[in-house]
Amino acid sequence: MTAQTDAPLLRVRGLKTWFHTFGGVVKAVDGVSFDLSPGKILGIVGESGGGKSMVGFSIMGLVDRPGRIEAGEIIFDGRDLARLDDDAMQAVRGRQIAMIFQDPMTALNPLYTIGNQLEEMLTLHTDLGPQARRARCIEMLAEVGIPQPEARLGAYPHQFSGGMRQRVVIAIAMIAEPRLLIADEPTTALDVTIQAQLLRLMKAQVEQRRTALILITHDLAAVSQMADRIVVLYCGRVVEIGASAALIASPRHPYTRGLLDSIPASHQGRSRLPQIPGTVPDIRKLPPGCSFAPRCPRAAERCRAEVPELTAAAGGSAFACHFPLEASA
Amino acid sequence: MSELPLLRVDGLEQRFDASGSLFDRLRFDNGRISAPRRIVHAVNGVSLTIRRGEVLGLVGESGCGKSSLAKTIIKLHEPTAGRIILDGEDITGHGFQRMRPVRRKMQMIFQDPYASLNPRQQVSDIVVEPWREVAGGSADAAHERAMQLLAKVGLGAEHAARYPHQFSGGQRQRIGIARALSVNPELIIADEPVSALDVSIQAQILNLMMDLKDDLGFSYLFITHDLSVVRFISDRIGVMYLGFMVETGPRDAIFDNPHHPYTQALLKAAPRIGQPLPPAAEQLTGEVPSAFLLPEGCAFRTRCPLAHARCAREQPALKHIGAGQSVACHLHDADEKPLHDAPLPVAA
Repeated sequence: MTAQTDAPLLRVRGLKTWFHTFGGVVKAVDGVSFDLSPGKILGIVGESGGGKSMVGFSIMGLVDRPGRIEAGEIIFDGRDLARLDDDAMQAVRGRQIAMIFQDPMTALNPLYTIGNQLEEMLTLHTDLGPQARRARCIEMLAEVGIPQPEARLGAYPHQFSGGMRQRVVIAIAMIAEPRLLIADEPTTALDVTIQAQLLRLMKAQVEQRRTALILITHDLAAVSQMADRIVVLYCGRVVEIGASAALIASPRHPYTRGLLDSIPASHQGRSRLPQIPGTVPDIRKLPPGCSFAPRCPRAAERCRAEVPELTAAAGGSAFACHFPLEASA
Repeated sequence: MSELPLLRVDGLEQRFDASGSLFDRLRFDNGRISAPRRIVHAVNGVSLTIRRGEVLGLVGESGCGKSSLAKTIIKLHEPTAGRIILDGEDITGHGFQRMRPVRRKMQMIFQDPYASLNPRQQVSDIVVEPWREVAGGSADAAHERAMQLLAKVGLGAEHAARYPHQFSGGQRQRIGIARALSVNPELIIADEPVSALDVSIQAQILNLMMDLKDDLGFSYLFITHDLSVVRFISDRIGVMYLGFMVETGPRDAIFDNPHHPYTQALLKAAPRIGQPLPPAAEQLTGEVPSAFLLPEGCAFRTRCPLAHARCAREQPALKHIGAGQSVACHLHDADEKPLHDAPLPVAA
């Protein structure tokens, strides 16, 4: 590996995104750190309420009141995005960092043709002339697999199916050639045959353009197929981070193990599924100590008193657990 | 199969008229006025049987008609054609009044645990409503029944007086299950009961549903788009595409030896943990055609990598190919001369 590929494009350190509500402080993201290099895919997984979407919104500078970035750094290409003002952030958003949202039905403006919406990105972020812009739009639609792209430029979002709309959303995100792409549950609303097509499309974009991709999803199977590294979030904190294959094959944190075991596919026959008891706690009233302790089969006194720190382990992985599972060979 | 099946559905069809009012329909073509109808072909001649104590899993992508089929079987929609025979009784033509005793045998669990519970009713009233409908009974008896039902699905007496908004998604789905159980049904139709839940909660609900079935001995028609869930829960599986049943068979036969090209493609496209993405060559291209305008011949031929001339002419019938497995594909028709000498592609 050369020094160039090693240098991370994005370095998130101790990110805390808190919401100050009348019901108390909601620590949606509470101390998240990771690195991401160009041409790499980072998967962020966890259940609803884990804070995974809020990590994406924080990087994009899209956290609305009463939320704000309380502490931490988001170093993108040498600049701390957490300290940029709105105007400076506006120049980064779309051009340098783009986002793909979950719901292709609401991410597009129903009143404009998809040609308008694609071209807007080029008007804002490049100095191409009108003809060059149009040519680039056609090229981009072809690249994401939309048949007859030239004829489709004048079509409105409602004339497309869900899978085709998500292709358009991906085209809009990619057309200004951003260096970082954040995809928040990009295929959750779609059928499996379409999902496979779109995951392949995003992976191809990452490989061809050396874009860095953050894939936020609850689908461990999809993330294990795509990501180089995986971050597992629980109640706003990183419980485990590591290389994709190693983390799936030999998770160290009991929550990661529980998530993997809950997927029916990994079990043959009709024995009972190993289940994680209970539910995710109310994030405003987290238990002292480890927030997973009330559901954890390995929890002891210490877990209920003391928050486990993220501990580094072999192969650049880390986990936050007082009593981790054995690392298997 | 000498035993009488619990449910038999023969050639069921469901068409919805989506054409709107006469004014929406009016068209002028070459100076002539016409008012064409727009018909959604949701379910097209589906036949299936469910034996007592059996779980039939129904899979397919969105718009394949699996929910329409379920709602037609339980008579939330009137069938356009075909027959529904529950426990030996033909209920196809039953009106609302004659369906009331039938609903005691057949209950439904819905996908959305937020929309399927009345927000103004207490949980203890929600879960016994079907039971009171058929059994009547005093308020005390109903309360006792409610407590039994809540205990069965893992909720406590302290939950009885609460309202649906005070519960999480998983707990609400437990309430929906308790309501379906209240009349001791013989068949429960579950329409994507775990799709809206997180994976750890999904495992809890799947375990609960299987424990209850083992205890009480009823059958499930279990509808899901999730292949890992259907593999876990089913005895037999039916695969649907665009309103047609394209393949049915025992669970392991479908997963280990799928015959229909669509079943094969669906299984390959499903993400598997720790496996690489399937190569592009094995991906299904294109999208599902509109149910307004079904393709001539086989419905899958527009996306099928193996389609040939006969597929465009003739609609394949679901035919038994041995070991309880049936498939609707011309490639597996015994009369069909082999197109090429190469063996039929079978998923690895």
